[in-house]
Amino acid sequence: MTNTKQYPMQFTGRGGEYFVIWIVNIALTLLTLGIYSAWAKVRTMRWFYGHTLLDNQTFTYLATPMQILKGRLIALAALVAYYAASFYSPMLAVALMIILLIAMPWIVVSSLRFHARMSAYRGLRFDFTGSVGEAARIYIGLSLLVIPTLGLILPYLAYRQIKFIADNTTYGQTASRYQGTSKPFWGVYLFALVLMLLPIGVIALGLYQVAQMKTAGMPPEVAMAAVGTSIFAGAALFYLMTLVAGAMIMARTANLFYNATTIGPIGFQSNQRARDLIWLYFSNLVLIALTIGIFIPWAKVRLARYRAGHLTLTGPENLSEFTAGQQQSSTATGAEMADLFDLNIGLT
Amino acid sequence: MTAFSGDLFDGRSSQAHPVNATLDAGQLHITGEDIALVYPLSQIDVAPPVGAARGVVHLPEGQELHSTDLAALAALSQATATNRPERWARHLESRLGYALIALVVSVLVMFAGLRWGVPAAAQLAAHTLPAGLERNIGEESLTLMDKFSLSPSRLPLARQQSLTQQLAAQCGKQTCPPYTLLFRNSKLFGANAMALPGGTIVVTDALIDLAHTDTELIAVIAHELGHVAHRHSLRLALQSIGAGVILVAITGDIGSVSDLAAGLPSLLLQNGYSRDMEREADAYALAWLNTACIPPRHFADILGRLDKDSTDSTTLLDSHPGTHQRIKPFLASHRCT
Repeated sequence: MTNTKQYPMQFTGRGGEYFVIWIVNIALTLLTLGIYSAWAKVRTMRWFYGHTLLDNQTFTYLATPMQILKGRLIALAALVAYYAASFYSPMLAVALMIILLIAMPWIVVSSLRFHARMSAYRGLRFDFTGSVGEAARIYIGLSLLVIPTLGLILPYLAYRQIKFIADNTTYGQTASRYQGTSKPFWGVYLFALVLMLLPIGVIALGLYQVAQMKTAGMPPEVAMAAVGTSIFAGAALFYLMTLVAGAMIMARTANLFYNATTIGPIGFQSNQRARDLIWLYFSNLVLIALTIGIFIPWAKVRLARYRAGHLTLTGPENLSEFTAGQQQSSTATGAEMADLFDLNIGLT
Repeated sequence: MTAFSGDLFDGRSSQAHPVNATLDAGQLHITGEDIALVYPLSQIDVAPPVGAARGVVHLPEGQELHSTDLAALAALSQATATNRPERWARHLESRLGYALIALVVSVLVMFAGLRWGVPAAAQLAAHTLPAGLERNIGEESLTLMDKFSLSPSRLPLARQQSLTQQLAAQCGKQTCPPYTLLFRNSKLFGANAMALPGGTIVVTDALIDLAHTDTELIAVIAHELGHVAHRHSLRLALQSIGAGVILVAITGDIGSVSDLAAGLPSLLLQNGYSRDMEREADAYALAWLNTACIPPRHFADILGRLDKDSTDSTTLLDSHPGTHQRIKPFLASHRCT
């Protein structure tokens, strides 16, 4: 293609502007005993979409509060049933857990589908066409292999999850394609493993030294204190490394996700850097703690601005050649279930 | 008359059509190159504006009209007169003063809800739940504890029976909630007594060893009877669910950033709740001992010994109020009528 053009993604929202929306959302949600949360979600999504610019056009969020509310109520009923069951009898809770596990592929697919169908750009909706069968293979089949393979399958699992989304999304009637391989995912997860081994090493080293000194005749109380110190240092390092490894994985997978995806003539370049994201997460966490939560809106805006600022699309000189596909309606139940049961589906 | 410019998308292709729109006599006229559309207001749906984000008007057949002229869109939204809760929100968001009020209200409602609302709701729920359910839960948890953390008592049967009879004699003289007294040995719990849902009171061997007299044990059991009478275990379980729901409701909007921070507040809350219950059980025990003509001092004595026994495990986030503070009322008065 000769005439290609770069389209940088932009995020134009400001923290102060979001703070007002955020705090009013929380106040009204509390005062209405949670009912308003559906309206709050829609307003929040519309604000973020309406401030995300590509080629000077914004994204549109199409879900209505009533759809979200219905989904939330059904998901909440399921959660309450689960709580009540675990309260009444652990066996019943286990049975419900198994039912939930079996339903998970459906929840994953319907959540991805709802999210895609409720997102539009230039008047055309996105859609998600992945099948429940493939979701079952990835989210149950491969996930069950995590423990017997001692986690060695995690990079491949992450690759398949990314591919599941990036290969099954459509914009209008133009389908996306994912051309990435699983190879780079191994490097990312190997690095994460090394990071997570550090705190374990610190604890082991500390315990080894204590054992050495104890044989040299250290009183038991001092030895206990030394053991405590090394475990505490190890735990602190563990939390720090969880944050570092998590942010690193996020940055690298985002790049692997976008850079190998095409939607028709559109290609993506994502150049998030692990150290930037680590710094963002860490500083956000510190500032949120220092302000008892008031900083949260600014933190979310900083992340959105960083993500948008490091994503560029390459495409034809003008983006008006896409056409609409056929769409069916979709409900929010799966999406809200996924939210409430805290299922980690993929990139947001 | 409201007029604004924007981009029209027909919902069939991604082509943007620059258009002018005017609201005139209850109809929206959209004009542009090769475009002349007229829609009555009943057919259009103005997405309520949020902040300074670009506005969207949904037109029939999946068409969208985008515009940055938020003032005009607000007027259009007013004219469509659909009564949405969002208009309220928009109004509140429009002034910083309202936002600050919202902040204060949020903090107060959250605090009051967690501090008083959840315990009150749990109390109500605990009293409406059938007693059979509570007994079931108690039996389930006893079975679990017997499996993992409790072993049969090493106390001679005669001693167990003597304590059971002493308590029964006291309860013959005054009101006690329905209870079952059990003896167990436990490494994990050390010297301890606990009240399970449904009225089962478990006393550990270590506690019996710690007591100098049987009266001290009766005093501790009086405290546990307080937990039983107020249905504390059930209420605590219900409260942790209630507080969990509230925290989820709040953090659900906050997102994953807060996940690391969400654990601590719930732990603090849990301890706050159980401190309240210890106070309630103490008050019950004090009244009970006074009615039974047992000097409340005995409770203070064993509590002081218990505290000395467990100093190394006492932390900042301890679930019981300070022992010194708890002992005070038991030392002060001894009314026996």
